[in-house]
Formats: sequence, structure tokens, C-alpha cells
Amino acid sequence: MRPRGSSMKYMDWTTFSIYIGLISVGLLMVYTVDYEEATIAGNFFRTSAGKQAIWMVISVLAFFLITLIEWKFWQTFSYLIYGLSIFLLVAVLFLGTNIKGATSWFTFGSFSFQPAEIAKFGTSLALANFLSTYNADMRDIRTQFISFAIFLVPTGLILLQPDAGSALVFMSFTIMLYREGLSPIYFIVGGFLAGMLLLGFVFDIEYIALGLIWGFTLILSLNLKSRKWWWALGALAFFATGILFIQQDLFQLVILLSIAVFLLASLVVWRHKKGRLAFMLNTAVLVGIGISFLANYVFYEILEPHQQDRINVWLQPSKCDPRGSLYNVLQSKMAISSGGLQGKGFLNGTMTKLNYVPEQSTDFIFCTIGEEQGFLGSFGIIALYFLLLYRITIVAERQRSGFSRRYAYAIAGILFVHYIINIGMTMGLMPIIGIPLPFISKGGSSLLGFTVMLAVLLKLDANRGVG
Amino acid sequence: MDIKNEVLYRVYFVLFGLILPVAVVLMYRTIDIGIIQGKEWRERGEQLYMEPRPIEAERGNILAVDGSLLATSIPYFDIYMDPNSTGMKEEDFVNNIDSLAYCIANYVDEDLTVGAFRDFLIQQRQDSARFVLIKKGVSFAEKNRMEKFPLFNLGRMRGGFIAIKSSERRRPFGLLGHRTIGFIRDDGSAVGLEGYFDENLGGKEGEQLMFKVDETKDLWLPMDDLTTVEPQSGDDLHTTLDVNVQDIAEDALLRAMNYHNADWGTAVVMEVKTGAIKAMANLGRWKDSWWETRNYAVGRAVEPGSTFKLATIMALLEDGYIRLDDSVNIEKGRTSFYDQSMVDATPFSYTIDSTSIRRAFEISSNVGMAKLVNKFYGENNPTNEKNNAEKFIKRLRSFNLDIPTGVEIEGEDPPYIKDAYSQEDSWSGTTLPWMAIGYELEITPLQLLTFYNAVANGGVMMKPYLVSEISHYGKTRKRFLPTVVNQRIASKETIEKVQNLLLGVVERGTAYKLKSEQYLFAGKTGTAQVNYRRLANNTTRLDGYRATFAGYFPADNPVYSCIVMINNPRKNGFYGGDVAGPVFREIADKCYATRLELHEAYNRGPKTIRASYDLPDLDVGAKEDLEKVLDFFELPKYGDPDADFALIQSRSDSVLLQQRKLPEEAVPSVVGMGLRDALFVLENRGLKVQFSGMGKVVQQSIKPGTRARGQVISLRLR
Repeated sequence: MRPRGSSMKYMDWTTFSIYIGLISVGLLMVYTVDYEEATIAGNFFRTSAGKQAIWMVISVLAFFLITLIEWKFWQTFSYLIYGLSIFLLVAVLFLGTNIKGATSWFTFGSFSFQPAEIAKFGTSLALANFLSTYNADMRDIRTQFISFAIFLVPTGLILLQPDAGSALVFMSFTIMLYREGLSPIYFIVGGFLAGMLLLGFVFDIEYIALGLIWGFTLILSLNLKSRKWWWALGALAFFATGILFIQQDLFQLVILLSIAVFLLASLVVWRHKKGRLAFMLNTAVLVGIGISFLANYVFYEILEPHQQDRINVWLQPSKCDPRGSLYNVLQSKMAISSGGLQGKGFLNGTMTKLNYVPEQSTDFIFCTIGEEQGFLGSFGIIALYFLLLYRITIVAERQRSGFSRRYAYAIAGILFVHYIINIGMTMGLMPIIGIPLPFISKGGSSLLGFTVMLAVLLKLDANRGVG
Repeated sequence: MDIKNEVLYRVYFVLFGLILPVAVVLMYRTIDIGIIQGKEWRERGEQLYMEPRPIEAERGNILAVDGSLLATSIPYFDIYMDPNSTGMKEEDFVNNIDSLAYCIANYVDEDLTVGAFRDFLIQQRQDSARFVLIKKGVSFAEKNRMEKFPLFNLGRMRGGFIAIKSSERRRPFGLLGHRTIGFIRDDGSAVGLEGYFDENLGGKEGEQLMFKVDETKDLWLPMDDLTTVEPQSGDDLHTTLDVNVQDIAEDALLRAMNYHNADWGTAVVMEVKTGAIKAMANLGRWKDSWWETRNYAVGRAVEPGSTFKLATIMALLEDGYIRLDDSVNIEKGRTSFYDQSMVDATPFSYTIDSTSIRRAFEISSNVGMAKLVNKFYGENNPTNEKNNAEKFIKRLRSFNLDIPTGVEIEGEDPPYIKDAYSQEDSWSGTTLPWMAIGYELEITPLQLLTFYNAVANGGVMMKPYLVSEISHYGKTRKRFLPTVVNQRIASKETIEKVQNLLLGVVERGTAYKLKSEQYLFAGKTGTAQVNYRRLANNTTRLDGYRATFAGYFPADNPVYSCIVMINNPRKNGFYGGDVAGPVFREIADKCYATRLELHEAYNRGPKTIRASYDLPDLDVGAKEDLEKVLDFFELPKYGDPDADFALIQSRSDSVLLQQRKLPEEAVPSVVGMGLRDALFVLENRGLKVQFSGMGKVVQQSIKPGTRARGQVISLRLR
């Protein structure tokens, strides 16, 4: 048992140091991006960097303020905070300011904030608290339902704004649910569906169907009791002939034959007392084709061209106009690669300073790091985030309180999704979704939001011996 | 699987199945972009979008001797607007776009209408355009005005105002001295002074990082960063060219070219004492007209013909072989050396057998000169010296006839003088006599003029030069003083003799038609055969004549030397005296008429005797003042009054100063005084003065001699 009120002493300084490191990098990067603005404005505190500096001070103060608040406060008031964030998410739909097509901001004079930031925090607390109740069991369908409801409700409200980026962040709670014992089946099914959806965006339905049938035929043949390798080889030989036939424009013949072979294989497997597998795979083929068909239809018939472009930029960049929709990603990559190994040096980035890359100081701030600090800088930032996530996981696992652990995993998940999407986006790995890079991107409410999340985690950790 | 292990697996999966792979993928991607594909991306990035680019420096001016501009660079601007510039605020754009469109439509391009142009700009802003052309080629003043337009007045970052500067070379005097001043070709090579002083005129290019505004266009905008190297503007060139003389020379030359339908011609005027080139005109045939196509004065060494006889006779005189009164047999203007026959070009010779060397020179007898040279420098010379031709060549070299002048024009053709007996130069027995009359050797008109100039300058050879000073913003960077190439090309006696000979050519020789009553000038005609070929049947063929006249004026006190060369005149004569001579005469006449320094100053003669009505009379003033004024005007005066005040009286041709005593106690007469003196005198006696008019006092209200008691006295001045 540790004495109360000595949280500073037991603070996890590793995490705190990484935090300070990241926000410092953030300030410097915002300064360099808006350097020209700074030279024009004259008064430093009127510039973006100046404002960011003020927010940084506020955030650090908030950090220490939170260490002074009784740790039990967060668990006790978790539902209240969650309720408040849900209320704000509803309110913003009616009272919010529309910025770039999304009603996701409350504006008070020059200050503006996103209720989604609060909702991330509130949902983390509420979900952690709910799972800490005695009768919560992840294997129980009721618990599963309520857990999903807790994060899907704010997700739905955010989609109404619409803000796909923030909504996507809420999917991160599944990581925590996985740790708490959610069956992998959910992830397999979810992954399958998502995969089919994406394939449907890109490929023709016939090829997806053929791919599914061939893949599953192979799985089926490997599930035979005897001579399964021979059967598998036979299947491969069949596919090879199929490809030859396709090149002869005999596509329909190949697909009919494939369906026949697949059904035959299913029948054989069924006879081998593996009827469940056969049934599952048959269902999967139908569902997969259905989803792909839907995706295909939605993509070509419902989505507007600019929405199609966004998906193409991610999945099929070769189809895009380098001076049109692909422009941002190209510029971003050029900026990153222009830094070389050591970068051009602080304040010497040229492409980023000239606004070649849009949203330079917010969503695409990683390019600035790439350009000015080079490959070493980008590498360092990626490593720093990895360290942070790793550390949070370690911190999570050392908690005695289930609430603290779950909360830690929730925070790790949120940071993780921001990290992969934001950095991945600047390098063309992820679709262009406007979410900030935590602690680094310009923006006061985002910085304060992440700071509060992390501060609460460290406060909980500092008191892990207590209670 | 027990619960504990399963939890552990799940934790491991989150850590090493999710977080770590993502980090690895991201890191790999940075390597991929930055290093594996790095080169490709960097090439695309840097070369397309950003590079240090030169900023043109402002080219210096070329000035004539009086400071008038011969060539100058005038800046002009292409005006663009960046409707999506970094610092432009929506608010600024919206608030100002109406007024901006109004200003542009009304003051810049009247073809535009306010509404349509405003809509156009709004559309451009929506289309993310970065570079919208407003107007090309506006002047500095126009640019300054546009800078003050609404929105534009916020500058480049906030207002999107872009002015791209270029400059255009202008020549305020048009084609005057075109070739001499030079120009820069499109390929960057430059000729004339522009070329020779390119480094000075061009200044130093700056360098600035610029970014490409639009991938599809070659449009670059400067970036404000610290690495910018400011361009250094070029230096100004002060030439020795005189716009008036140049104009005279070009004009006279052009008329002669037209009159004689010639191929090309050149005229150069040089200042005798300094070698400063006052005019350099070159005209070549260009389609149906003449144009400054090539600098013939400098760029082309040609066979000079008879004008070279000056060098020949100088050599003979210097070596002491001849006296001018010696006689020479010119064989009625026809002789032969070995198998080659030589004829005199001028008809003077056809009646003469034997005459003085002086006369032979004045009538430009080829036979005379060639025979003299062959006699004294050829194989059987009277002194029996072997290889005496070397002596002749050496003598020519001592006149600096074998070296280029080094004038500041690119591409000067060096002179060509054969080495004596040189196989390489295909020296033959006929070389010497033909060299004597200006063949088998080549020299540029300017080099020949330099030689004539040295003769005019009493034997001191000056380097011809065009540029007297290089300055930068009025501050002298470098000054070029006249350079003496050769302190004495020949003895004083020889120089005096040949000066006389040249005067004789004009007075009674081949150029006697050109003689002027106004002033004396000296010179030598030349009628060279162009491209002559000796044919088998002992005849020659040629492609025409080259008429030359070289000389200086005024002969008694040479100020300018001048050469005129006209190639292949097709009609109205071909002799040097008929074709080139009149051009020389015209240049000399006009220079003489317009140049004050060529005239005898009027005040150099005996003093003029003035009539008495020219002289001042009956003025009264302080004695010292009057004496000073009279001295200043050099008016003869006499009389030495013993008083402070004096009266002037004019006598027949001088001024008499008389003393004027003023009474101490009474009112004096101030008639004839200026107001200052009158006030001084009257107020000293306690009188109060009123006056009207100006000039001298002609009337006073109180009679002189009245007691002064502080009365008021009125004066009338006129």
C-alpha cells in the first residue's frame, strides 16, 4: 500500500518524457510550417506557433492539475462524462459550426473545440467502467452488446456530422475488447467483410467471386482426411488451366466449372463429417459476393466522383490524376523524400513552407518532419510513438484495478488508430482521412484532449497500488 | 488453454501482432519513399518545383562622351495575381475583389468589364489557380500604380500581387553606332562594346530559390528566404563616342554608299592627341539597303593600297636613302618587275618621265614608290647589303604596323606583314615592290588610322580607345587614360617631312579637288584593287576597287584624324579621291563648323578699339569699385582721382576717372550714383531718403549745396 497524495513520486516518467518530447516536436513543426506567417505577423503570440505555445502551456498545466484530482473521480463520474459527451455530440449537430462540410465544431469567439475529442475520453471511461462491473463477461452476449453500444452510439452521432475520420477512431475500442476476451471470430468476420468491401471497390465482381471460390476450394481440399496434398495440387492445376482458359476469353466456362468443382469439394468435405466448415465457406462465398456486389454498386452508382476519387487515391493511385485528386499524396511523398537522410534542417523545408501540401500544420504535419528532419526524423517519430504505445501497454498490464487497465487499453487504441491513419495517410498507405497526429498537429482542443487522456492514465497508474 | 495464458497471448498479439508490425510497416514505408524510391521522388519534387534560379542583374548604361545614353536597360514587368496565395485571407479577398476588378477593368485593360473580371477572379480562386495573368509588359510607373490597387496593396503574401521583372535593352539614338556599341544576340553572344565589356555591363547575377507555381507552366516565383543572393547591377560605360560626330560620319558615309552603290564602307574619326575614337561608322549591304552588319573598321584586315605609301616613304626617309627633292623616273606610269607589270592608277603620271620624289608621292605614283623600295631594299641595293628586305620589314614593324591596336571591340583582325624572304608567306621577287604600294599585306582601317594619327601627333602613337571610364552609380570604378603605344615612331624631321607630303597631296596632288578654303587638312588617297589575280597572258583581273582616304585636320594644328574606306564602288567613280575623299571632307567640314575648339578664338587677335558711345559715361561711384569694374572688362582708363568718389567720363577710346569731392556739411549732388552709394552719402549727412525707380539717380529734390538739416530728400532713379 502506498500512501495517498504522492502521485508525482510514482508518476511514470518514461511516458511523461515521451509526451513532453512529442509536444515539443509539435511546437517546432508548427512554427516552421507557419514561419512565413510568423515573419509577417510580427507578434509571436498571434501566429499559429504562438497560439500553439499557449495551448502547450495550458495542456501542461492541465496535466498537473489532473494529478491533483482524486483518482477515483474518473471512475465515479465516468458515466456522467460519457453522458455529457453524448449530449454535446447531439447538440453540435444543431448548434455547431460547419467547417469544410462537417458540423463538428463548437465555436466561441476565436476558441473552438470538437465534442468528438471529449467523446473519445468519455467513451474510454464509460467502457472501462462498464467492463469493471462484476457481472461483465466478454464471452457473454449481453456484455458484448452493451460494450458495442457504448462506443457505437457516439460513432453513429459523429457519422451524422459527418466526420468519418473521428468515427473510425472509435473502432479502436475493439482492441481493448479483444484484450478483455472478445472472440477472434468477430475480428475474422469483420475483417472478411471489410476486405470484401474494399475488394468490391476495386475489382469486378466476377473476379472476386472466382477468387473466393478458388481460395475456398483450396481450403476445402486441405481439409480432406486422406491424400489432401494431392487434392490440393489437383486444385492448383485446375486453377492454372482456368487462367489459361480465361486468357482465351472463356471466362464464363471457367466460372461455371469452378462453381461445380467448389460444390463438389463441399459435398466431399461434408461427407467427411465436416459439414460446418462446408456450410461456413459456402455462406462466406455468398456473403462475400453480396458485399462486393454492394460495394461495387455503391461505388459506381451512388458515390459522387470526388468520393470515388478518395477511395481510388488510396487503393488505385494509378487511376488518379496526379494534378488532381492524387496531388496531395504526391506532394506529401515528395516532401518526405526530399528530406533525404538528415533532412533539410529546421526552418529550411521549402515544399512544406510553401503550402505545396495542404493542411500542412494539421493533418499533414508528418511531411514537415520528413522534409526538415529527414529520414532520421521520421524514423524517430515513428519509433517514439511505438515506444509510447508499448509503454502504455506495459502500464496497462501492471494495473491491479481492472478499470485502470481497460482505460489504458482504450487510450492505447485511440492513439494507435490516430498514429497509423495519420502517418499512413501522408505516405499513401491509408486513405486521406483528416485526423490529427496526437500531440504534434496544430490545434488546441486536440492537444488538450490527448493531454487529459494521458494525464488521467498516468494518475491512475501512479495510484495503482491504492485500492 | 487456461485463462491466464490466453490473456498473455492476447497481450502479446496486441503488442507484437498489431502495434509492432504497424510501426515496422510505417518505418519501412519511410525507407521506401525516402531511400528506395527516394531518388525518383526527389527528382520529381525538387526539379519540378524548386530550384535556385538566377536573377537577372540590371545591365549598365553605355554613354556618349557628353553623357547622352547610347544604350540603356529599361525595366518592365509582367503582372500576375495569385488568388490562392499563402497569406490571403478570405475576408480580404471578399472585401476587396469588387474594387480590384473595378480598378483593373478601368485602369489596366479597358477591354474587360468589371463584373466579368470579378467573376473570373472568383472562379480562379475556386479553381485553386496560383498564377493569373493580369497584364504583360507594364512600365515601372504602371506597376507602382497597380501595387496600390485594393487587395494588391496587401503585398504578395496577403494580396497575391506578383510582378515579374524583366528588362529590355533600348538605344535612344536608334541605330547610331549600332555595331560599335554592339548588341546581344538571342543566343547570348554579344558584339561590339556590349560584348567586350559584357562582364562589366552585365553585373553579377543574383540567385534565389524559386518555386514552380504550376507544374504545367514554366513559371517561377521567388521565395523569401535568407539564401537569396542579390544581383549586382552592371557598371556604366562612358565611351569616347561623340553623338554628333558619329551622326555626321554615318550620314556622310551612307550617302556615299548610295551614290556609288558600294558593298561596304567604314569611317572612323579619332582625336589626334589622345587616340579617343569619336565616331566609328560601319555600313554593309543588307538586302537593298545598308546596315551596320559588321565592324569593318576593326574586324577586317584588307590590302590598303596607296594609303600605305606613307609608311613606305617614311621608311625610305628614316633609313636616309632618299631626299624628297631627289628625282625618280616613273616611266609614264608603267613598268615591270620580273614578269609582272605595274601601272599607276592616277592619270597624272602618264605624261611624266622623271620627277621629284615629293611629286611622285603627291600624285601617288605606284611605279615611283615601288622602284624606290626595290632599289634600296631589293637585291642590288646601292649599299650592297644582303637581305636588305629585312630592313624594310623591320622599319614597318617599328611603325607598329604589325600589331593590333587592342581597341575594345571583340574580334579585332591582326595585321599581316610578311616576314622577309619567308617561304611560308610565299615571299617572291615581286613582294617588295608590291608591298611598297600597299599590297601583299593586310591591315585594318583602324590600324592604318592609328598610324596616320601618330604622324599627325608628331610621331607619338596613341592607342585608339572607345571607353574612357567605367562607373557605378556615378562613382568611378576605373578610368582609362590615353595610352602612348610608341613615344616616337620616327624622327622629328621625317615626321615633319611626311606631314608636308600629306598636306601636298591635298594642296596639289591626288586630292586637290577636296581642298578647302576654310582650313588646311592633310591626307592620302588610296585606290586599291580588290582581289586582283594575275592571269597567264600578263593581264590582271579584279573584282573592283577599294577607295580610301586617310588624313587629319586641321593640318597646322591637328585635332582629328579620320579614315574613310569604301569597298567596291560601282558607279560615279572609284578613285580614293573621288569616292572616300568627299566623305572625309564632309566629316571634316561639319566637325570644323560645329567644333568650337577648331576655330581660332576671336579674342586672340588684337584688342578691338571701341567707339566712345560703347563706353560708360557720367557714372559716379566709389573710386575703388569703379576701377575694379573697368579692370574686369579690360577697358582702358586713366586719371587717378584723389578722393573716395569718382566720376567717369568717356573719352574717344578710353575712360577718364575724375575726382568727385562731396561737401561735408551741405547736401551733395548724388546724380549719377547708384542707390547704394547715394543712400550712404545722404544718410551720413543726416538726411532722410525717399526714392522711386531703379538704376542711377537722375534727379534729386534738394539742390546740392543746401545745408543738411535732416530734411527728407526724394530721389528719382532710372
